[in-house]
Amino acid sequence: MTQNVSVNVHHLTRVEGHGNIVVDVKNGKIEKMQWQVPEAPRFFEAMVRGRHYTEVARITSRICGICSIGHTLASVKATENALGIRVSPQTFKLRTLIKHAENFDSHVLHIYFLVAPDLFSVPSVFPLVPTHTEVVVRALRMKRLGHEWGSLLGGRTTHPNRVIPGGFAEYPTADELRNLKQRLINVQPDIDATIQTVLSVADKLPAFERPTEYMALSSDQEYALYDGVIQTVMPDGKKQRWPVAAYKSCTNEYVVPQSTAKYTKNKMGSYMAGALARFNNNYDQLHPEAKKLAEALKFKPLCFNPYMNSVAQLVEVVHSVKDSIRLIDEVLGAGYKPEELAKPTQHGQGQGGVEVPRGILFHEYGYDKDFMCTGGNCIIPTNQNHANIQLDLEALVPKLLAAGKDEKAIELNLEMLVRAYDPCISCSTHYLKVEFKR
Amino acid sequence: MRYLIGIGNFSMADDGIGLRLIERIVQEGLDCGFEAVDLADEGFRLLFYLNEGTEKIVLVDAVEMGLPPGEYRLFQPEDVASTKDMKRLTTHESDILAILDFARSLGYRLPPITILGIQPGDLSPRPELSPALRERFDIYIGAALEEVAKDG
Repeated sequence: MTQNVSVNVHHLTRVEGHGNIVVDVKNGKIEKMQWQVPEAPRFFEAMVRGRHYTEVARITSRICGICSIGHTLASVKATENALGIRVSPQTFKLRTLIKHAENFDSHVLHIYFLVAPDLFSVPSVFPLVPTHTEVVVRALRMKRLGHEWGSLLGGRTTHPNRVIPGGFAEYPTADELRNLKQRLINVQPDIDATIQTVLSVADKLPAFERPTEYMALSSDQEYALYDGVIQTVMPDGKKQRWPVAAYKSCTNEYVVPQSTAKYTKNKMGSYMAGALARFNNNYDQLHPEAKKLAEALKFKPLCFNPYMNSVAQLVEVVHSVKDSIRLIDEVLGAGYKPEELAKPTQHGQGQGGVEVPRGILFHEYGYDKDFMCTGGNCIIPTNQNHANIQLDLEALVPKLLAAGKDEKAIELNLEMLVRAYDPCISCSTHYLKVEFKR
Repeated sequence: MRYLIGIGNFSMADDGIGLRLIERIVQEGLDCGFEAVDLADEGFRLLFYLNEGTEKIVLVDAVEMGLPPGEYRLFQPEDVASTKDMKRLTTHESDILAILDFARSLGYRLPPITILGIQPGDLSPRPELSPALRERFDIYIGAALEEVAKDG
């Protein structure tokens, strides 16, 4: 049993923004154990007030530079629900296709650049260049595909400008879609190599389990990413569903002293959102090739190990590629053509839910008779995971102490735990700080 | 192809100067003869613009240079040394100079790159630029357009 531990990770690396892990153990007694998130308020909900419905998604896509496709989709869906705008089956499929692009791109980034350094025992991706050049080059090749896949559908990957209420402002040509399909077929060797890379280091993922509630969108039609209802699966396997319009009664936001980000909970003390939550809720609807990978990894629902979120992301990478090939075939086979934008038929309140890489995302807006926004609300997945991370820490630290782990090992285990959730906190900055040489 | 590329966080006051500049240029239809690119938070996407056919890149970013807020400088990456704490350097929290070093280490041939560095006055969580940068916004646009159009 380890007696004294002081872990103070200020601004955890390899996550977006600032989060702190603080653990104090004195004479075997845990005195403090916190996941702290000093996230700043962001004002987006106020910024949309008084804006025309055609402007709102452009503003709220700015909430996240990594998940801007997901925020755009959640925003246009909420607006369309509020205004009675009904989009076509073709729009539904093209939006699912761009949703796949975002998940693929973000998951590749997380697996290779944020999680892999822990598994290869290096501080970041940079030291992997001389030792694992082929792995880094492959990761960049896959990321480039994700980037160009999203840009083809969205106009650009970051803050897509083609996805607008009522449909799409512009469309890729049929030839561009055929070319995308071929690139998705051609990426298979890189996916196979990724699986081998993950398999070679998978035993380094800590074996820690804590049963919790898992929340994700779910649909009777498909593995829900773009659309569905809210579903949670409990540790005993019992599932329950709610309409997206009832999202507030499932998320129950509350504040805690250690964090400026709001926490959420549903039936238990916390719930998990993200790839593992989707895997646990919707496993049966994964593409057969994705299921085959999960089976090869002996990875099946219900999985209570949060570190396996990264493996669930890999399973989703396979699913997104295979399902996108299907979608392109269906779209092209159904008389693909540019469509007129669907128009508002009413005004009022509307909600939109989508699955972004880090989990379930909700947007809600109200509109007056002139289609001007009267207010908005967004609940992002990273915030929905904070309470679950805190409870994971509370369960994990005593186990690590009992196993006699030293301070360094405990710190690494806790950092890896938080990174597994791929948190995306808004307060990161990207400015340069330089000295001129002359 | 020539690229004018902005990077930063829209929600962190002057850190978002590059993104706001790109947004305005696209809105006003000023992106003629080059592509205006919003990289947002993910600097690694810069690698996808370091292609054989890339003639020139102008990067717009907030740069701590010890100047009064709002002042700007045009410089090449090799003119400066980064003094940013590299501990946090990663894919999300990026320093564009380190991304360029990363590209070099992977054997990328870099096209001519100029950085339009703007001294921030405020990097706190605010969804707007500080007054010093707001007042000079049109000057930055002029400087960026001139630089991206310039040969060499």
